[in-house]
Amino acid sequence: MAAWDLSVTVEDLGSDAPPVAISVASDLHVGGVILKLVEKTQIKRDWSDHALWWDQKQQWLLRTAWTLEKYGIHADARLVFMPQHKPLKLGLPNGITLRLRASFSCPVFQTVMGICRMLNIRHPEELSLLRPVEEKKKKKDKDLAEEIYDLTEVPLSSVSRPCLYNGMPAHFVDSPQMEAIYKMLSVTQPPPAPEVIAKQYRPASVVDKAHINGRWLDSSRCLMQQGIQENDRLWLRFKYSAFYDIEPKYDVVRLTQLYEQARWAILLEDIDCTEEEMMLFGALQYHISKVAQSEPQMLSTNAAMDDLESALMSLEVKMEGENSSASELLETMTAPELCDYLKIFRPKRLTLKGYKQYWFKFQDTSISYFKSKEESIGEPIQQINLRGCEVAPDVNVASQKFLIRLLIPAPEGMNEVYLRCENEQQYAQWMAACRLASKGKSLADSSFQSEIQSIRSFLAMQKSNSHGNATAGDESINTHSLVSPRYHKKYKPKQLTPRILDAYQNVAQLSLTDAVMRFLQIWQALPDFGLSYVVVRFKGSRKDEVLGIAPNRLIRIDLGVGDVVKTWRYNTMKQWNVNWDIRQMAIEFDGNVNIAFSCVTADCKIVHEFIGGYIFMSTRSREKSDTLNEELFHKLTGGHEAL
Amino acid sequence: MDDIDAMFSDLLGEMDLLTQVSSDSSLHELEDNDLDALMADLVADLNATEEKLAAEIEGLKVPTPPPSELPLPPPPNDLITPPASSLISPTSPASTSSNGKKNYLKCFITVCIIVCPADKIKLALEKLKEAKVKKLVVKVLMNDGSSKTLMVDERQNVREVLDNMFEKTHCDCNVDWSLCETNPELQLERTFEDHEKLVEPLLAWTRDSENKILFQERGEKHEVFKNPQNFYLWKKDKKTLKDIKDKDKELLIQENFCGTSIIVPDLEGVLYLKEDGKKSWKQRLFQLRASGIYYVPKGKTKSSRDLVCFIQFDNVNVYYGKDFKSKYKAPTDFCFVLKHPQIQKESQYIKYLCCDDAWSMNLWVTGIRIAKYGVSLYENFKTAEKKAAVSAVWTNRSTPSSSNPSTPSPTIKGSTTRNLPLTECFIDLKQLRCDFPPPPPPPPLGEILPPPPPDPILPPPMPPLAAKSALKPAGPQKHLPTNFPPPPLAMDNLPPPPPPPPIDDASEAPPDFLPPPPPAAGFDPVSLPPPPPSQPVFTGAGAPPPPPPPPPPPAAPAAVPRVAVRPAGSLKKVPPAPPKRTTPPLHGGGGGGGGGDFMSELMLAMKKKSSDH
Repeated sequence: MAAWDLSVTVEDLGSDAPPVAISVASDLHVGGVILKLVEKTQIKRDWSDHALWWDQKQQWLLRTAWTLEKYGIHADARLVFMPQHKPLKLGLPNGITLRLRASFSCPVFQTVMGICRMLNIRHPEELSLLRPVEEKKKKKDKDLAEEIYDLTEVPLSSVSRPCLYNGMPAHFVDSPQMEAIYKMLSVTQPPPAPEVIAKQYRPASVVDKAHINGRWLDSSRCLMQQGIQENDRLWLRFKYSAFYDIEPKYDVVRLTQLYEQARWAILLEDIDCTEEEMMLFGALQYHISKVAQSEPQMLSTNAAMDDLESALMSLEVKMEGENSSASELLETMTAPELCDYLKIFRPKRLTLKGYKQYWFKFQDTSISYFKSKEESIGEPIQQINLRGCEVAPDVNVASQKFLIRLLIPAPEGMNEVYLRCENEQQYAQWMAACRLASKGKSLADSSFQSEIQSIRSFLAMQKSNSHGNATAGDESINTHSLVSPRYHKKYKPKQLTPRILDAYQNVAQLSLTDAVMRFLQIWQALPDFGLSYVVVRFKGSRKDEVLGIAPNRLIRIDLGVGDVVKTWRYNTMKQWNVNWDIRQMAIEFDGNVNIAFSCVTADCKIVHEFIGGYIFMSTRSREKSDTLNEELFHKLTGGHEAL
Repeated sequence: MDDIDAMFSDLLGEMDLLTQVSSDSSLHELEDNDLDALMADLVADLNATEEKLAAEIEGLKVPTPPPSELPLPPPPNDLITPPASSLISPTSPASTSSNGKKNYLKCFITVCIIVCPADKIKLALEKLKEAKVKKLVVKVLMNDGSSKTLMVDERQNVREVLDNMFEKTHCDCNVDWSLCETNPELQLERTFEDHEKLVEPLLAWTRDSENKILFQERGEKHEVFKNPQNFYLWKKDKKTLKDIKDKDKELLIQENFCGTSIIVPDLEGVLYLKEDGKKSWKQRLFQLRASGIYYVPKGKTKSSRDLVCFIQFDNVNVYYGKDFKSKYKAPTDFCFVLKHPQIQKESQYIKYLCCDDAWSMNLWVTGIRIAKYGVSLYENFKTAEKKAAVSAVWTNRSTPSSSNPSTPSPTIKGSTTRNLPLTECFIDLKQLRCDFPPPPPPPPLGEILPPPPPDPILPPPMPPLAAKSALKPAGPQKHLPTNFPPPPLAMDNLPPPPPPPPIDDASEAPPDFLPPPPPAAGFDPVSLPPPPPSQPVFTGAGAPPPPPPPPPPPAAPAAVPRVAVRPAGSLKKVPPAPPKRTTPPLHGGGGGGGGGDFMSELMLAMKKKSSDH
């Protein structure tokens, strides 16, 4: 067979270097071409990751046993010899950019698997890559060097088969820098400054949200084929809202990043919620950031320590330590009391009399009050049991107003009682006691001190905010950091503080893991959770409508009104087809229901992949094996290319 | 020495007093058959206490004081329990815990701390907790107008009480059986959820309350699990809903109850809201979310951010309203109400809502329950289903020819309903035996008990009530009338107040360190003779030993005859582990060989303590 010259660009020689010409015959296999090429360059190095890329056909020549003839390569082919793994700038859900080497040659589905293996995220099938939203670059912060965490030095061998060391991949133990990266991945970020939130792109409508879904990469093609270049920026995000088998013990990074994605979805109003829900999300963020700062290892260690057991254990330790002071132990066992002079006001009964001072005693879950301290041995003027009551703060640090408003249930209705405290210290104690009592817990409860602490820190927050300078120190968090910009306009930080504090009392006792889980649960319970929107044109309709793709159903939304017009569940779906020529999707449901639509804001491959992907996700529970059924995924999502 | 003597006498005196009060709390107005049942409970109680105490004393390695310490001086005056009226006041049962009592407990603990190593104190602490347990005697109305009376302890949840009722009534144990609370004054009713503690809501009833507890089949309780499509796909047409496949129902339950988050049906619709203080009803567009009920303010869109919160569920329960059309001029009779459980009378804090039809009312009430209780509802259903399945198996096996499943043989029924908890109980016993002196072996069961259940694998447990009814025809218990002879004056010698009824020991795991009473002795006090030395009072009572005599009926409770519930709780405060108790001989002669001189040891300890100061 006749030999001819094949010119190949070798990337490692530099972009200016001319192509290397080698003499080949059509029956030479690709492996032989590479061998000749390497010999010719006379560079000694590890070439094992390198492969040939055929530029015109946008195709990798990965089958080294195939001959040039079989590939159809002639002398005019522009071939590039380059590594399959190249550096990529990866935007994580927590907003931080990571530089790592990802595969540019295998389908994106596998690329994501590799990335997730490196980052220690289980169930990579739930994530994917998308092109980022272009940020409006202001000239000013153009040169502001963003801190980039670099993982490009991680050997590929370590990624392909990571061995876990203390629950984290071994490559993260190599150096302090690597450990810092793992910490960044597995510990939640502090609340962002309000300006940062305000600066981010926020979708203003369903159509805006639909546009974002046009950015997902195709899972069945490789990065090179989708025009991604070395060092390009991509986002790694959870794509399918069907989070399978979350296990806090193994899913430290996964949970943290999922939480971050959810938090940003709330802050940027990617998903709508009510004001009450926003306050609760704010309270949880506050709590999570506080706990994460104080005990960053909590998520990884098994925090599920039995309450009683720990209580008994500490009791035991105590007794061993101070065996002699039995009386002290007694103090801890009998319920502690809180006594002080406070002022009381009952808005209904004594409208004209105003606040009156009494000697108050807090015992168990009840408040009793007496004329004076001296008379506190006798019968109280009144005893109020606070179990099941509502407690609301009415505080203004600047004007030294410390009110506790109690709504106490009684057979006749709710009685309103205000308690006025003199100072912060007193207020924090009594407020904490009231809070615990309303939940049926006494002062002896272990959470009393932490409750006091959290009330204090909230007071501190109000203090710093009232001075106008919202500095984001570690002690005080600007409450605007915890809610979406809509509420920045609606409320001042100090107006937000009591509302968030109000929601906070229900979550203040949660461990870090539990708080993160609670956040995710409330997020998932939102009516619009899990909906990915695409603007479509239904067959026979003359206006654009929105298709919402959820983990278990498709919904049709009228763009004008925003109402859900129709719902189809996947379990009633018989088959779906894509007509690639006219870019139309047709779906058939039980009972001869047929729908067809073309996609406006996203390629119909993306829609096809979403639906197939969700069906794939729902098959996971059935097969218990840990290995991912990649073939099935591609079968369900790939379209004609995979088949 | 004198001090300690006095202290212990006081302690015991107090205990005896408590026993007296707790057992007489409300006996006088019960029907005869109720009394039987109640007495069985009480005796079981006493026996259990006896066993527990014995075990505990062994555990504490505190030698039994010589019986010569008895009889005891009368209890000190400041300990005399408050008049019976406060006893029945359901609102403040805990307030009766006087300081005096606390001091005694304190003293006792001090002794413990000095004498015993740390782990024993755990035991004492546990005991203290136990002493605080509130108990109520509850009258439950049946569909046929009759009623059953039973004792409920604050740790028992509705499921356990239902199980108890199953035994008492021998109904088919299907999943629909429920306990309901009615409030005639507000014309409300509500089905208790199975996981709720029963005592707590009952304590909210007022003294003059006409509220009742009903034992009924309520299909709507678990309807969402039987037909989830009616709630989660309610927008679909009725025919589609009816034709839905079981597989799809299962999927719906999976999706909404088995994920990371519980999904609340997305309800949205126009409801009538009763305006505060007026008899007019106003229409509003409401939306149910996991976080509460919201409405769309006038002129706003339905977008989440514009919604106004109407109510959140943390502090309220949802009730069905009865006959609101005439009471409040409601547009329809399909009303529901949200209120704090403590509110018992009309108040502006009660929210009244009215739906167009029964279907939508059920949607809303069920949706609210899902939002409020979450996964507990599903767990309740699964437990109820298991229960029903077990009893169905028994029913089929024992009465294959019977065409009426609702009247199975009482003996079989009784035994089966017990089986699960008892097995747990045995496992616990095994574990405990490693750490503690073995509890007395259960006496041979076969001879005394009625025919064991057909399943040979399961232990043949004998619940007190089933046993009672099985034995009833023979009539040995028939001599327990209301006019029971007044208790002997030597009340001080009565065994200490009973711990919670034995039902607890079976269904909740007993505290780790307390060997539970042997099942047979605990569960069948009526047919088993109690250990003679522990109940000296009864030794002369004749061949079928009767339960301990109830104390004389107090006069005061007669003032509130309508109240079906009264807390015996506050008075049930059991002082912790009184060391001075005659140990049952089963324990191999006087519990623990640690030498008989407990008092001198204690003395030493006390001296040591005072020198420390």
